[in-house]
Amino acid sequence: MSGQQPISEFKQYFQNIREAVVSVSKGMGITMRTFLKVNGLRKQLGGYEYGAGPVTVSYPEVKDNIPLHSRNRLFNHVEGCIACNQCAVICPVECITIDSRKKTPEENPDERTPAAFGSKPKKLKLLRFEIDEALCCFCGLCTEVCPTESIVHTPEFEYSKYDRDKLMYNYLSFKDDNPLPKV
Amino acid sequence: METPQASGQEFRTQEILLNMGPQHPSTHGVLRVEVVTDGEIIKAAYPDLGYLHRCFEKHAENREYLQVLPFCDRLDYVAAMNQELGFCLALEKLLEVQIPERAQAVRVVVSELQRIASHLLAVGTYSIDIGGFTPMLYAFRDREHILSIFEELSGARLLYNYIRPGGVLRDLSRGLEDKIKEFCRYFKPQLQEFDELLSGNKIFVERTANVGMISPEMAIAYGLSGVNLRGSGVNWDLRKERPYSGYEKYDFKSVVGANDVGQVGDCWNRYHCRVREMFESIKIIEQALAQIQPGDTMAKVAKAVKPTGEVYMETECPRGNLGYYIVADGSKKPYRVKVKSPGFISISCFDELTSGMMLADIVAFIGSLDFVMGEVDR
Repeated sequence: MSGQQPISEFKQYFQNIREAVVSVSKGMGITMRTFLKVNGLRKQLGGYEYGAGPVTVSYPEVKDNIPLHSRNRLFNHVEGCIACNQCAVICPVECITIDSRKKTPEENPDERTPAAFGSKPKKLKLLRFEIDEALCCFCGLCTEVCPTESIVHTPEFEYSKYDRDKLMYNYLSFKDDNPLPKV
Repeated sequence: METPQASGQEFRTQEILLNMGPQHPSTHGVLRVEVVTDGEIIKAAYPDLGYLHRCFEKHAENREYLQVLPFCDRLDYVAAMNQELGFCLALEKLLEVQIPERAQAVRVVVSELQRIASHLLAVGTYSIDIGGFTPMLYAFRDREHILSIFEELSGARLLYNYIRPGGVLRDLSRGLEDKIKEFCRYFKPQLQEFDELLSGNKIFVERTANVGMISPEMAIAYGLSGVNLRGSGVNWDLRKERPYSGYEKYDFKSVVGANDVGQVGDCWNRYHCRVREMFESIKIIEQALAQIQPGDTMAKVAKAVKPTGEVYMETECPRGNLGYYIVADGSKKPYRVKVKSPGFISISCFDELTSGMMLADIVAFIGSLDFVMGEVDR
């Protein structure tokens, strides 16, 4: 606030008070305007449609709309998985563990994945498919390399547990207190 | 009462070592500052880093190029798009890939949106540091819209992994283009309102104007970049000087500090440069969306790239010039990745600038430098 012509200290004192009052009342005016806008009153007066109304979502009662392709908890459809191991290789944090072996003639080696998963040949028997959800960094690389699109990120984000071991999901025997994520 | 001098005793003062942080609301992350104070005057301040060190550079040596990308997001977690862009541009320079026009335009749009989001966070939390609570709520309200746009675009709200070597992950849909245009229309008056609310506020100006002066010579000597450099009156914007990703096609000003409220190089100017830069970012987004043409968003790049050679690429991030130096030895994994982070340099000028400052001003000074510890410690 310096740089102007020198003014007396006395004058400066009152000027400071004036400036403070003016700027604070300006701020109060903006607060009031926003208050009216948020409560929908300003909408009729030609307010902005975008962002009119409160922004806060009262979370546990009201849930925000989450896009279907949003990257939250991982889920693997075992019936579509061909045990190709690509997701485990590309994962930067190594949170996917896959064990498999070649199928014997008795185990139907000509089996194919369902049409929804691209009808790819299933030559390997999946022995273990585990995802450590506590390690997952939600980068989405595994879902992109999957040839049958069986491993997907679901929009479900409410899966916190009291125990870290419970975040280890075994998709061959999928047991969970949460319902299965919708895809 | 008798003064100590009058009574013949010598008046002795003692320097106190004050520990600020790592868990301090105004240090923006986990920065610890050892402040030596004499009364209310700071004698010296030593920043203590490393609380958020996550071995990014070493991790990068043990991951394939594509796998390094999610870690780049986590460097500066409030401006993840810009961090990705820097790494991808460096890798593309190494591979000599031509990026499709549309992908370049989408990259400009998302990185400018991210710049707005990052600056909103910076000025919002800065107002809290100074003692104004309301402006932060306004800033976060508008930032929320950007995060929703990014969530719809990439699937994540904070760590996107959206910009990929060769282009972008998903194309900008027509609906989303309209949504971003609508956001720009909505945001301009909101930002004007924010500017009115905070920039001219008497209390805010008193706390920030003429505080924490960085002279242009000193800023250049330390190697500050981005808004911190431009706030000191040095006109250096990489988007202008060395255009990348098609920035040369857009008409915008690089914002420089002015002598109107405070002096060039003080906290107020650094703050206000951020606010004015957001207006420029809106301009860029609007131009990019007006000029955007349909087309490919991904060039043909192999999944596991094996480049050779070395490359250094600097981009203009919200916090300054972020540089990636990659040495590639022809294998799937980089031989060495070095990050030149702007925040680390901002912190290095701490000791010289804070000595002689009032203790209460150090909070205003830290806030105005706007660093993110994730990027400083890496």
